[in-house]
Amino acid sequence: MHPPLTPRILLLRTSLAAALLAAVLLSSAMVGPQPVRLKTALHGPQIHGVPNPHYEILVRVRVPRILLAAMVGAALAASGVIFQALLRNPLADPYILGVSSGAGLGAMLAVIGGVSWTLWGRSPIALFAFIGALGTVWLVWGIGRVTGKYQVTGLLLAGVVVNAFFSAMIMFLISIAKSQQLYATLFWLMGNLTEENWFVLWVGSGCILTGIVALFFLGAPLNIISVGRQDARNIGVPVERVELSAFAISAFITAVAVSLSGLIGFVGLIVPHAVRLVFGPDHRQLLPLSSLGGAMFLVAADTVARIVVAPAQLPVGVVTAMIGGPFFLLLLVAHSKKVYGGT
Amino acid sequence: MTAAIQLNQVCFGYSSQRPILAGIDLNVGVGSFLAVAGPNGAGKSTLIQLMAGILRPQSGSVLLDGRNLYSYGVRDLARKIAVVRQEFLPAFGFSVYETVLMARTPNYSQWGFESREDREMVAQALKRTDTAKFASRSLDSLSAGERQRVFIARALAQDTPILLLDEPTSFLDIRQQTAIYDLLKSIQQESGSTIVAVTHDINLALQYCDEALLLCPCRREGPDLTNPTCSAHYRTGPTHEVFAPEEIRRAFRVGIFSGTLGSERFILPLGKRAKDANLLPPGDVEK
Repeated sequence: MHPPLTPRILLLRTSLAAALLAAVLLSSAMVGPQPVRLKTALHGPQIHGVPNPHYEILVRVRVPRILLAAMVGAALAASGVIFQALLRNPLADPYILGVSSGAGLGAMLAVIGGVSWTLWGRSPIALFAFIGALGTVWLVWGIGRVTGKYQVTGLLLAGVVVNAFFSAMIMFLISIAKSQQLYATLFWLMGNLTEENWFVLWVGSGCILTGIVALFFLGAPLNIISVGRQDARNIGVPVERVELSAFAISAFITAVAVSLSGLIGFVGLIVPHAVRLVFGPDHRQLLPLSSLGGAMFLVAADTVARIVVAPAQLPVGVVTAMIGGPFFLLLLVAHSKKVYGGT
Repeated sequence: MTAAIQLNQVCFGYSSQRPILAGIDLNVGVGSFLAVAGPNGAGKSTLIQLMAGILRPQSGSVLLDGRNLYSYGVRDLARKIAVVRQEFLPAFGFSVYETVLMARTPNYSQWGFESREDREMVAQALKRTDTAKFASRSLDSLSAGERQRVFIARALAQDTPILLLDEPTSFLDIRQQTAIYDLLKSIQQESGSTIVAVTHDINLALQYCDEALLLCPCRREGPDLTNPTCSAHYRTGPTHEVFAPEEIRRAFRVGIFSGTLGSERFILPLGKRAKDANLLPPGDVEK
C-alpha cells in the first residue's frame, strides 16, 4: 500500500510530474506533419528579412494548440477529481451534472440562430457554450438542493435527467439544422482542439490555472467529505462551504475548458482513477498529480490526433477514448490487487 | 455530578404527526458511560444525532457544558464531541492510517498538512485501539470488528472529552463485542471520557455502563402518554434499575428470562418456542 503522504513526497512527485509535462510539451511541439527545427525557430519571425516558417509553425500554430490541450486536460482531470469526491461516486466525471449538454445546447443555439458577430476574432459559439454550461450546472445544483439536502442521489438524478432532456433538444436542433451548420457543431460536440489566438489562450489559461490552484487548498477537507458529509461535519469541517466552493470552481473551469475545446470525454473520468490507482486516494496529492497527468494525457492524445491521419485531423475526443480506454484497463488489472485486497 | 450533556424537555419527530421523542429529560454526567437502548424505531439514533448537533429538537433544549449545543460552531463542537456512526460506505480505498488522520483535518496548517503533534495523536489512537498493526491496509480489506476499532481510533484522534457511538457492536461476533466494550471502558477510565453508546445488547450494557436510557414507544405512532400500560415512554437512571427485567419486557414487548451470576444480572429474550421448552415457571413469559 501507499505510504502516508508527507509534504516532501508531495513536492517531489509534483515536481517530477511537472518536469515530465514539460518534456511532453516540448516533444509534442517538435512532432507534426511538417518538420520543425527548434534552433531555426529560435531565430525569430524573420531571418534576413525572409519569413521564418519554422517560427511561424511553432509559435502561431503548434504551441498555442498544445498549451490549450494542456489547460483543457488539466481542467477536466481536476474537476473529475472534485466531482468524484463530492458525489462519492467513482463513475462521476466533469460532465455528469449537465455541463456537456448545456454547453452543447448553447453552441447549437448559437449556430442555428445564425449568430454572425465575432468576439476577439472568433465565433461566439464558445461564449454561448460557456453560458449554457454554467447555467445548466446551476440549474442541476438548484434542483439537487431542493430534492435532498443531504443526499447526492437527488443531485445525480437531476444531472442525468437534465442531460437527457438537453441532449434531446440538441438532437431536435440537429434534425432541423442546415447541413453546413451541422458540420461545425458536430465537430465541436466530438471534442476538438484548434489553433487559438494568444489572447483567448491567456484568458482561458488564467481562469483555469487560478481555479486549479484554488482547488489544491480544498484537498484535505475533501478527503473526509469523500468518506461522508456527516463524518466531515462531526470532525469539524465546514462541509457546506467546502462543497459549494469546490462545486463552483470545478464547474467554472469545466465550462471554460468545454467552451474552448468542445466535449472531450474520458479525460475527467480516467485520469483521476489512474492517479488514484497508482498513488492512492489522498486528494491533496490527487489534485495536483491529476491536473498534470490530465495535461500530459490530452497533449499526447492531441499529438496523435494531429499526425495519425495527416494532413487531415481526428477529433481529439476519439483519440482520448481509443488510447485511454485500453491503457486504463491495463492499469486497473495491474493495480487491482494492490488496492482491493491483499496486504 | 456535573452534566456534560443535558437534555431538557426535548421533542423531536421527522413529521409533525409522529413525534419520536417527546419531552426527554436527561443528564449525561461528566465521565459517565451511558447506554441507550430501546426497540427499533424508538429514536436511539435520532437522540445521538441530536446530541451530535446534526439534528435540532423541535422544542426543548440540549446543553453542552451548560451552553446551548446549537450555538457552538462546527469546529468548536468537534473539539468537544466525537461521533462513531453506524454506516460505512467504502469510498476510494483510503488506508487505516489515512482514515484516522482525517480526524485532525481542522488542525492542519494552511497548506493542508498535519503537524508532528497531529501525527503523534494518531499514533496513540492507533496504539490504544490495537489497530497500528494494519495501519497501512485499506479500510475495505478489514473485518467489521477491525473496522469498528478504526472508527473508534478516529474518534479518539479527534481528542474530545465526549464520545457518541451509534451501535458500535452491531455485526460483530461476541468476542469482538466484548473487545469493543473493554476498549470503551478503558477509554472512560483512563481518559475520564464521557461515553454515550446506543446498543441492542442489554447484557453488555449491564456489565459495562453506569447509566442507561431506555426508550419505549408503546405504539407505532409514537409515544402515547395516555396509554395506561405505558407508564413512561422512557426511563433513565443507573443501568441495573433501568434495565430491570420488567422494564425490558415492557419496552421490547418480548418474553424474557433473567438470572444472576454473582453480582451480574443477565437477560435472555425468549421467543414462542421457549414456552414449550418448559424453561420457565408458567406466567413468566408474557403473551
